[in-house]
Amino acid sequence: MLGPSVPWYLAISGILFGIGTVGVMLRRSPLIVLLSLEIMLNAGNLALVGFSRSWGVSDGQVFALAVMAVAASEVCVGLGLIVAMARKRLALDVDELSELRG
Amino acid sequence: MTALAVGGWICLLAPLAGALLITLAGTSISRRTAAYLGTLSVFVAFVGALTAFFSMWSHSPADRSELSTAFTWLSGGSFHVGMSILVDPLSIVMMLVVSGVGGLIVGYSIGYMDGDDEERRYFAYMAIFVFAMLMLVEAGNLLLLLVGWGLVGLASYLLIGFWHHRPEAVAAAKKAFVMNAIGDATMALGFFLLIFKTGSLDFSVVFGGAASLDSTTVNLVALGLLGGAVAKSAQLPLQTWLPDAMEGPTPVSALIHAATMVTAGVYLIVRTHSIFEAAHSIQDLAAGLGAATLVVAGLIALVQTDIKRVIAYSTMSQIGYMFVGAGLGAYASGMFHLVTHAFFKALLFLVAGVIIHHLAGEQDIRRMGGLKASMPRIWLAFLVGSLALVGIPPFAGFWSKDPILAAALARGDAFGWILLVTGLVGAFLTGVYTFRLFFRVFYGEPSELVTEHAHEHGDNDRVVSLSLGVPVAILTVLSTVGGLLEIAGVWDPFGSWIAQVAEPLVEPSTAQEWATSAVAVTVGAAGMWVAWAIYRTGRLSVPALPAVQRLLEHKFYFDELYDAIAYRPAQLLAMWLRNEVETPFVEGSLDEIGRVGQEAGAGVARAQTGLLRTYALAIAVSALVLAVIFVAVR
Repeated sequence: MLGPSVPWYLAISGILFGIGTVGVMLRRSPLIVLLSLEIMLNAGNLALVGFSRSWGVSDGQVFALAVMAVAASEVCVGLGLIVAMARKRLALDVDELSELRG
Repeated sequence: MTALAVGGWICLLAPLAGALLITLAGTSISRRTAAYLGTLSVFVAFVGALTAFFSMWSHSPADRSELSTAFTWLSGGSFHVGMSILVDPLSIVMMLVVSGVGGLIVGYSIGYMDGDDEERRYFAYMAIFVFAMLMLVEAGNLLLLLVGWGLVGLASYLLIGFWHHRPEAVAAAKKAFVMNAIGDATMALGFFLLIFKTGSLDFSVVFGGAASLDSTTVNLVALGLLGGAVAKSAQLPLQTWLPDAMEGPTPVSALIHAATMVTAGVYLIVRTHSIFEAAHSIQDLAAGLGAATLVVAGLIALVQTDIKRVIAYSTMSQIGYMFVGAGLGAYASGMFHLVTHAFFKALLFLVAGVIIHHLAGEQDIRRMGGLKASMPRIWLAFLVGSLALVGIPPFAGFWSKDPILAAALARGDAFGWILLVTGLVGAFLTGVYTFRLFFRVFYGEPSELVTEHAHEHGDNDRVVSLSLGVPVAILTVLSTVGGLLEIAGVWDPFGSWIAQVAEPLVEPSTAQEWATSAVAVTVGAAGMWVAWAIYRTGRLSVPALPAVQRLLEHKFYFDELYDAIAYRPAQLLAMWLRNEVETPFVEGSLDEIGRVGQEAGAGVARAQTGLLRTYALAIAVSALVLAVIFVAVR
């Protein structure tokens, strides 16, 4: 087996996921929030690929491809929303968008 | 199916079809067409009854009863009830009376109700009533009989309250319905007991098994049936609804509250005579209640001032005679009096209706008088009806009332003598109150009201005067000759006809018949003489007995009594429940439940901050917690 062993990949994946989570929770700009979400998704991808290698089956890699497709569509929608907000001159701050308050 | 059954089904279903047609056609037919349709449907029923009658006539006496089942209506385990009709010599008599007299009265309504805003509704109700009454008399088992019993109560309720803008009419309708519901309930309880003990409500099973039931059961069943009969027929102690029912239109009073529905109790006793014969004390109770009612109602009728109420009390009194007959086991005499009473009482009501119509709705006899000059034909019809009611030969009532009194004499024991004496007292009272009414309305100085309306005759259109006149004329003829169906000791077709279904328990001898007839006619004539002396010539004056008068005017305080023992306690209980239970507990707990829901909602709403990052935090924390639990539990 070439390269570092699987636990290393998982460790990196966990770190990336933590960074992404903190980003989603702490940043207020929707653009950064989206970015952090992408990081989280890719952390997941990395874990999938790592496990795929660990078990020696390719299912995880197939899933990773599917996740990329989902991530791409999600970014499309998310960016579309952000562009629409910008064109309406709304504040680009997720804390300002709280009309759904109970 | 034989012609007998076909006739029976046509008779039953024609009025229902009429009612449905009038209802479904709605305003697409004129009021007059609805009236014709209603009348036609009842006459079709009469033709059906006639067909069945002639078909029955041609059968041999052993073969005159036919049970025709359309389908099984209810079945549960071994208990089956068929949608079946029984056409036999007893039910055919009732069918002919109901559809025949009913047809005449519905025809009379064409003129009487002419121009009423809700004429269509009236005729639909009338057709429904005739259907329900035919259902009652043609029912092939006790359950269907109860269905008819309830439906006539409903029709009666609807028609008493027909003028629903009058509060008194609505109150009277409610009163009639509640009083009748008491009877319906006791009947239903009796039926439950029958199902429990015999497993069936079929006439053949129940009547065949009545003799073998233990005496408590059969007494309770008979008591339940008697309760129904007493309520429907307005006998003591459930009689107070009938006078109030006069709030309905006059043809309704004639059809439902004189000729047909109120006599259903008598029919019930005759129909279920096997049960009553097995419960002898209850049968005596029926006769006793009838006797008490006939005197009480006769006394009250002496002081009533409303023309329809006088006739209503007279109806109660005459049904009392029928109960005495049925209670004595003189079934044919009771049924015969039912038939002739249907003729002359319908006649009296229709005549009263013409008078009320003529006087623009006035019903108070103190404002009438001297009508003979302006209404000679009505005078004649009323005279015939009155003579038939008092039982003066050769009019119908004479032939039918006296056999009942003779049966009381033939019974022989002390109870028989009591019944005979009360019957004779009743005959005297009948003479007095009937002719008090007659002289008050037709003789004396014409009142202002009468003079005012004296020359309005003949401006009605032809259909109205025909529709009012023809039924009155036919009923006058029937009241005159209707009694010749049966002449005691000489000519006995009616008695032997009914005896095919219900064998009489007492058979008065011819000598007893003639003796009671002579006494009864004398007593009735004496009553007429008293009325003549007081109200025509003024030779006698009304005895001044203020206490008695007050007692009679308050109808023996029955209404006040029922108010005190049923209405007031119920009202007090309801008030107490409202103040002590409803408001604090029921309403309070509802408020409490509502408040808890509101507060819970407010709490949950606080969690909905609308801040995206809080949600993300919540998700992350929950995921973390779940992961920790997952690891820990493993």
